[in-house]
Amino acid sequence: MNSHPVIHASYRYLSTMCLSSLLMILMSCSARNETKRNNSDLQENNGVFYAERFTLVRNDGYSKLTITDPWQGAEDVTQVWYLIRRGSVAPPGIDPQNILFVPLQKIICMSSTHLSMIKALDEEHTITGVSGAGFLYDRTLIYRFEKGLVKDVGYDDNLNKELIVNISPDLVMVYGVGSESLGYIGKIKELGIKVLYNADYLETDPLGRAEWIKLFGALYCKEELAEEIFYSIVEEYNELKDYITKNTNIKPTVLLGLPFKDTWFISPGNSYISRMISDAGGDYLWIDTRSSVSIPFGIENVFIKALDADYWLNIGSVNRKDEISAIDLRLEALPCFKNGNLYNNNKRSNSKGANDYWESGSLKPQIILKDIASILHPDLFSDTELFYYRKLD
Amino acid sequence: MKTEYLTLTATFQPSRTRHRLIFPGLILLVLIFFILDILLGSVSLEVSEVITALSGTADTGVETIIMKFRIPKAITATVVGIALSLSGLQMQTLFRNPMAGPYVLGISSGASLGVAFIVLGLSANISPDSLKGLGNWSLVAASWAGAGVIMIVMLFLASRVKDILTVLIIGIMLSGGISVSIMQYFSHETMLKAYVIWTMGSLGNLTASQLNVLLLSVSAGIILSLLSVKMLNALLLGENYAGSIGLNIRFSRIIIFTGTSILAGSITAFCGPIGFIGIAVPHIARILFRTSDHKILIPGTILTGSAVMLLSDIISQMPGSDNVLPVNSITALMGIPIVIWVIMRNRKYSGIF
Repeated sequence: MNSHPVIHASYRYLSTMCLSSLLMILMSCSARNETKRNNSDLQENNGVFYAERFTLVRNDGYSKLTITDPWQGAEDVTQVWYLIRRGSVAPPGIDPQNILFVPLQKIICMSSTHLSMIKALDEEHTITGVSGAGFLYDRTLIYRFEKGLVKDVGYDDNLNKELIVNISPDLVMVYGVGSESLGYIGKIKELGIKVLYNADYLETDPLGRAEWIKLFGALYCKEELAEEIFYSIVEEYNELKDYITKNTNIKPTVLLGLPFKDTWFISPGNSYISRMISDAGGDYLWIDTRSSVSIPFGIENVFIKALDADYWLNIGSVNRKDEISAIDLRLEALPCFKNGNLYNNNKRSNSKGANDYWESGSLKPQIILKDIASILHPDLFSDTELFYYRKLD
Repeated sequence: MKTEYLTLTATFQPSRTRHRLIFPGLILLVLIFFILDILLGSVSLEVSEVITALSGTADTGVETIIMKFRIPKAITATVVGIALSLSGLQMQTLFRNPMAGPYVLGISSGASLGVAFIVLGLSANISPDSLKGLGNWSLVAASWAGAGVIMIVMLFLASRVKDILTVLIIGIMLSGGISVSIMQYFSHETMLKAYVIWTMGSLGNLTASQLNVLLLSVSAGIILSLLSVKMLNALLLGENYAGSIGLNIRFSRIIIFTGTSILAGSITAFCGPIGFIGIAVPHIARILFRTSDHKILIPGTILTGSAVMLLSDIISQMPGSDNVLPVNSITALMGIPIVIWVIMRNRKYSGIF
């Protein structure tokens, strides 16, 4: 068995999936307010339901964490970690390279989504390095960076390896952009530093993305808190979703993104944002497309379909209507442009270009959902203040 | 084959009946491709729909597609074909080298450098998506500025350096030496992708006002080329001989370089560096017209260039499919076989250059 860790892992993965879907059915049968009571039972087995890229199994004295296919296009790639409490002795037969002693005391994060999850567990003092301090939105983190408590370690091949060694973190958390990133990751590993792939950005289910907080819960030995946070998100999200389904009968159509020259990269119908639009009672115009990456469409093709769009969301980093005209004058002819139904997700962004939507959004799917729903259905909520989104004018 | 070689090299007197057939044929072909380019695209439209759109009575969607997307794109394709082929022809004659093209002077490298400064250079300071917020004109201006600097350097060298081969080598050195790779190395992925997309060329992004600017500058370039017909014909014999029959070499170089830089520089500014058309089309024209007389070759190259470019655009739109291919992939696909073929029978051509 040990000689085939991949097969072993994928078998484990399959069985977890079966188990979790069974539990999901059981859960949906029981009343919603019972979910909390069930938590402790679930932890005994496997507490991951929505996320597809990691599993977490508790055993005696250690937890086994498995991360599957952590970058776009990865096939049969698994990373296995054994999380062992500080001071305990590792069970025999486990490769020390795969052992992480928890709770972590120093971590370097390569993506800003990781930061908000650590912050939610009240462990942000453990963040000692980030990638691209210019993209920080959180005030306390910016303050800590200015004080020198958090260092900027650079990004990709420009990674400041000497600085990383100097920090000597318990863990570097990376998000794999592709197999090409293996190069610099290999170098850090060679220096004896542990590197964990975080694949939260690949989760297409909004709740699945938020569920990655459980991984952080395990890393900081705050499993219960992580569960609590996650289940309150699930509860709020599903309640909102039900409320939206019950109280809306029309589904406004939605266009996303911006063209570059002749090409318009379209988020596929199985993407995170597409799920969010459907849950918010909207009709995404490209809901039928399937892909793991954005699909390049000809601009005229998108244009003719976009003539039917009622709303236009997530418009790059555009701040005003006339910036869209500057990119392509022809876009002014779209009805959603003329009607002013243009909303961008950069209300919470600072002068340096950091956008909180990307930093804290993955842990607040219910707030994104409410934002989109109140944009698409203006009469749905009495309080119409948007959190991440704003209307362009 | 031996006789063909003789006609290619020795005659300045073209066979008039052959040209009487080819010119109208090419004009017809350009017209057909132009119409097809408007009819075919990633959105399928009926011919009747297109006609009603042209008369201004169709529904707004179809009318916008035709009037704002396809007609400007077809005009751009025609102009790009003309400009690149014409500058390629002039460079091949001036350097007496079949592999010369519009970019041997380093024009496109200069333009790329300008664009790279905007797209990649700023990325250290601004957020990755801000490029999307940069208007159309900023890329055009940057690209033009880059091409302009290279043009001034090359004009200066061309009026100082005696041997034309030296000028060619300096041009190639400049194109190779101006490296944007160091900027690529330091830039963010999103910006890198934006830059890569720019280098793949695009015809369909020009606004009406930009199209006017492009038409004006290309017209200026064409006029300069027409003025240089006699110089080019004399240069076929080599600069020394051309000089001995009274041609002012320095003046001819400046006229020809300026024309080429305006043509290639404007195209690169608005559409990105579009490859292979400039090298391949003059060869197609020589084969069709079996002459090296620029009085025939210049109009011939203009027609062939626009036909080839329109055809490339039709293919790159992949009619009936949702996706589009970057136009550079198609020009490469059509140009590379021709370039290889030219290399293979280079001996046959050596007489021209």
